[in-house]
Amino acid sequence: MTNNPISRRNFLGLAAGAAGAAALAACGSDGPKAPGTGSTGGGGGGSASYWSLSGPPGEPVRKAAIERFNKANASTKIEELYFQNDAYKQKIKTSLGANQGPTMIWGWGGGGLKEYVNSNLVEDLTDWFGQNAAVKDKILASSFGAATVNGKIYAMPIETVQPIVLFYNKKVFERVGVQPPKSWGEIMALVPKFNAAKVAPFSLAGQSRWTNMMWLEFLLDRTAGSEVFDRVFAGEKDAWSDPAVLDMLTKIQDLVKANGFQKGFSSTTADSNADQALLYTGKAAMMLHGSWSYGIQTANGGNFVKEDGLGWMNFPAVEGGKGDPSNTVGNPGQYLSISSKATPEAKEIAKKFFSTTLVDDDEKSGWVKSGGVPVLKNSDSLFTGGDAQFLKDMAGIANGAKVFAQSWDQALSPTAAETLLDNIAKLFQLQVSPQQWVSAMNGVIGK
Amino acid sequence: MTTIAPPVVRTKESPRSSGGRGGSVVWMALPAFVWFIFFGIIPLIGVLALSFTTWNGFGEIVPSGLDSWRATLKDPGLPNALWVTFLIMALSWAVQTPLSILLGVFLATSKRYREFLAVLFFIPLLLSSAAIAITYKSLLDPSFGLGSGLGVEALNQDWLGNATLAMATLIFIVSWQFIPFHTLIYQGAVRQIPTSMYEASQIDGAGRVRQFFSITLPQIKYTVITSSTLMVVGSLTFFDLIYVLTAGGPGDATRALALLMYRQGFQANLMGPASAIAVILVLVGLALSLLLRRLGGRADESQSEGA
Amino acid sequence: MATITKHAPSPTVTGTPGSRLRRRARSYNWFGGGLSWVWLFIVMLPIYWIVITSFKTQDTYFVTNPLLPPSDFTLTNYKTVIENDVIRYFFNSVIVTVGAIVPAVAISFMAAYAIVRGAGNRLLKVMNSVFLMGLAIPLQAVIIPVYLIIIKLQMYDTLAAIILPSIAFAIPLSVLVLANFIRDVPKELFESMRMDGATEWGTLWRLAFPLTRPALVTVTIYNALGIWNGFLLPLVLTQSPDQRTIPLALANFSGQFGINIPAIAASVTLTTLPIVLLYAIGRRQLLSGLTAGFGK
Repeated sequence: MTNNPISRRNFLGLAAGAAGAAALAACGSDGPKAPGTGSTGGGGGGSASYWSLSGPPGEPVRKAAIERFNKANASTKIEELYFQNDAYKQKIKTSLGANQGPTMIWGWGGGGLKEYVNSNLVEDLTDWFGQNAAVKDKILASSFGAATVNGKIYAMPIETVQPIVLFYNKKVFERVGVQPPKSWGEIMALVPKFNAAKVAPFSLAGQSRWTNMMWLEFLLDRTAGSEVFDRVFAGEKDAWSDPAVLDMLTKIQDLVKANGFQKGFSSTTADSNADQALLYTGKAAMMLHGSWSYGIQTANGGNFVKEDGLGWMNFPAVEGGKGDPSNTVGNPGQYLSISSKATPEAKEIAKKFFSTTLVDDDEKSGWVKSGGVPVLKNSDSLFTGGDAQFLKDMAGIANGAKVFAQSWDQALSPTAAETLLDNIAKLFQLQVSPQQWVSAMNGVIGK
Repeated sequence: MTTIAPPVVRTKESPRSSGGRGGSVVWMALPAFVWFIFFGIIPLIGVLALSFTTWNGFGEIVPSGLDSWRATLKDPGLPNALWVTFLIMALSWAVQTPLSILLGVFLATSKRYREFLAVLFFIPLLLSSAAIAITYKSLLDPSFGLGSGLGVEALNQDWLGNATLAMATLIFIVSWQFIPFHTLIYQGAVRQIPTSMYEASQIDGAGRVRQFFSITLPQIKYTVITSSTLMVVGSLTFFDLIYVLTAGGPGDATRALALLMYRQGFQANLMGPASAIAVILVLVGLALSLLLRRLGGRADESQSEGA
Repeated sequence: MATITKHAPSPTVTGTPGSRLRRRARSYNWFGGGLSWVWLFIVMLPIYWIVITSFKTQDTYFVTNPLLPPSDFTLTNYKTVIENDVIRYFFNSVIVTVGAIVPAVAISFMAAYAIVRGAGNRLLKVMNSVFLMGLAIPLQAVIIPVYLIIIKLQMYDTLAAIILPSIAFAIPLSVLVLANFIRDVPKELFESMRMDGATEWGTLWRLAFPLTRPALVTVTIYNALGIWNGFLLPLVLTQSPDQRTIPLALANFSGQFGINIPAIAASVTLTTLPIVLLYAIGRRQLLSGLTAGFGK
C-alpha cells in the first residue's frame, strides 16, 4: 500500500502542476461537510465507520447492532451508512480509491476480498483470531472459507448463511392444480401449464444479472457436480469447455424459449424487489432466490408469508445428472473486514465491535427473527414461532450440503465476474449461443 | 447532464474589432482559461496517460504500456458499443430532425394557441434524464406499468427487455426529451425568413409543399447543421438516461461507449481500458464536430471562419 | 385521445383578416396542426400519468385504470418522499447549481468580452481555440481523471467536488454564445466609452453587460438546467446521503420504493415541481433567449 499514494501523486503532479491546488481547494469550501460522513479512513477521535446494505431484512438488524454497541460504549461511536446492493458494489470501490472508505468494509468475501487483499486495503486478522479463539469458536467453521485468502483470514464472517432456494407461491400452485416440481423434467412440464393460466412460471430480476447466474450455478451443479466450476476457479485452461456446460446452457435457453420467465424479465431489477413482488402478488409461480428473500417477502408481502402462501425447496435434481442434489450454492456468510487505512483508534473500535456485539446473543436472535440462519453456532434452539420451519429447512440445507459453493460472481475476481455476468445476461437474451458463451468465458479464465 | 452538447461554431471575426488594444483585456480571459485547463484539458491529458496504465481504481497505478489498449481493442464489447453509439446517433437524428423541422415551421407562425403549444412542448427539457428514465421505466413495466393496468395487450410489450424494442424505446424517449428543444431552434430560424419571399413565390403559384422545399428548407440550412451537431455530438454523451433506464441492457443491446467506459472502470475495476475507451469517445466527438463544422463552413460562404 | 380531438382547432379559427395573398398563405396547415396536437399528446401523456399516479395509494394503483385520476386522492406518497430527506437533496442541488453557475457565467462573460475586444491578440486566439475544442470534450470521457483530481484536492464527497468541474464544463459554450452577442454590439459604442475615459473593466460592466443581458440569461438557464439535472458527477464524486443531489436521490428512490410506483411518481413530481414553477415564471425570457442564443 505504501507506494500507492506516491504513484498517484506522480500522476497528479503532472495533472496539478503548479496550478495552485491549494487556492482551488479554498474556493471550494462552500460544500458543507456534514459531521459524521466521509470521516477519512474511518473516523478520527473515538469513532469508526461502518457501511452496509439497506432494506429489509438486514438493515434493521444491522442498525440494532450498531445501536447496542454505541450504547454500551459511550466514549466511542460507530457511524453507519447504508446503500442499495448494486449501488454499494460501485460506491465501496470509488470511496476506497478516494481514501474515504469506511473503517469496516462489508462484503461477500471471495474474489472481491482477494482484490482488496492484493491492494493491501484490509487488515490481516489471522493473529487477532488466534488471540481471540473464543470469538472464532462462536462462528461456523465453514463460513471462514470465503474469508481466507492465501491461508490468512482477512474478514470476520457475520450475519447469515444464505443458501439459494427455489421459492414458490402455494396459492398459485393450488389454483392451477399442480404439484411442486421434483426434477428438471417436471419444471419444464410445469412451464406451459402456468403460461396457459396466465401466470409467469418463474420470476427473475434479469437486469441485475447475478439473479440469472443462480440458475447456471444450480443447473451446472446438478448435471455435473461441483468439479467443473472448481476447475474454472482454479484457473484451468478451457475449463468451461465441458460438455456438461453446453448441456446446462442449452437447458437454460430452452427454459427462456419456453417463456419460463415473466415478460420483461431482462428489465426487472432486484434492487427494487420487483421480482419478489411478482411472486407474492401471484403474477409468478416460482422464483429462484437467496434465502434472504424470505425476509423481504415477510416485510413487503402483506400477509402472504403469514398465511402460508410461500413454499420453498432445494433446487431439484436433473434427470441423469451427476451432481449431488443435496449440494447448494449461495453465501456462506457475509463478511466484515477492517480497512488498513483506518486510524489505530478506529481499528480498535472495530475489533471491539467484532468481539462483543457481533457475536452476542442479541445478534444471533436478531438474525433469526429476520428469517435468517446466523453464522453463529448453536442457533437452532432459537428457531421458534412462525418462521421455525423455514429456518430449520435453511439450516438443514446449509448443514446437509455436501458442497456449499460460493456464488460465482463473489468467488471470481470483479473483472472476471463482470464478463461472466455480462455473458449470462446475453445467454438469457438468446444473444449468444451456448458455444459462443463457452468460448467467451474461456477467454477470461484466471483473470 | 441534460447537456445537449455544443453547437456548430461559426465564429464571426468582425474586422471592425480587430484592434491593437488586445493586451489590456487578455487578463479578463485568464480565469476562464485557467479553470478550463485545470478541469478540462488536464483531465484530457490525464485520461490519455491513464490509458497506458493498469489501475483497479483503489490500488496502485502501474504504467503498463499498450496493455490497456490491446485489451480494449480486442474486447468484442468495443465494436458493439461503437455500433450501439452509432445506431443511437443515426436513429435519433433521423427521428428528431424531420419532426422538429415540421413542428418548428408550424409553430413559427405566431398564433396564441401555438405559443401555448410551445410552452407545453418545452416541459420535457426541464426534467432530468434520471426523472425521465424513472418515469418511463415505471410506465413501461410489463408487470406493473400502463399496459398491464389498462389491460391493452399491444401496450404490454417487453419494452425494455427485448433488444430491438429497448433500442426503439430509447430512441423514442430521446426524441421525447429533445424534439422540443430542436423545435424551438427551428421555430426561431423560420421566423427570420422574410415573408416577402413567400409572397413572391405565391405569386408564382407555389403551394405550401413547394414553398417548404424551395424556400423554408434552403433558408434554414445552417440551423439544420447547428441542430444536427447538437443532436449528433450530444448523443455521444447519453449516459444517465441509459444508465437508469436499462443499465446498458438487455445484455449489451443499449451499451453505448459512455456506458462501456463506466462498466469497465467502475464495475470491472479496469480503469486503464476504461480510459482507453474514454480517449476513443473524445476522438469520435472531435472528429464528428470537425466534420460537421466543415460541412457547415463549406456551405457557409458568406461567413469567414474565425479562430 | 378524445380529450385532445375536442380541442382540435376548426378552420374558421385560423381565418384571419389580411391581404388576399396572405390569406392563401395562412390557409390552415392541417398536416402541421395535426402533428403538433399529436405530439402534444405524446409529450403530456407521461407527465399527466406521473402526476395523477403520485396521488394514488399503492393498493388502488394496481386495480384502477392508470389513466383515470385517483378516486381516493392521497398525499401519503408526498409525505413518504419528504420524510426521506428530499428537502435536503433539494438544497444540495440549489447549492451546486448556484455555486457553479454564478462563477461560470461571470468568468465566461469576461473571457468572451476579452476575446471580442482583443481580437488579433495571439494569446487570446489560442484561448479561443482551446474553448472551441472544449466544446467537443464530453464530460463523461474525462470523469476518471476528474475523480483523481478531486481526490487529490481532498474534496471527494463534498458538494464542491461537483461544483468545480461543472464550472469548467459550462465555460466553452457560454464563451461562444456570449462572444457572438458581444460582437453584435456596434463598435462605435465602445469607441465613445473609450473617449469618455472608461476602462475596459468599466466598459465591460456598463456597456457590454446590459447589452448582452438576453444572452446571459440564456447561458445561465441552459447551463443551470444541465447542472441541476447532472447525474454522472454526483454519482462518481460523492457517496454520502448528506451530499446527494436530486437526480441521484431520484435514482435511489426508484430502487428504495421498488414497486411502490405512486411513491416513485411523487418523488419525480415533487423534485421537478420547482423547475416547472421557475419555468412558468420565466418562460418568455427563456424561450426567446434560447431561440436567440442558438438561432445565431
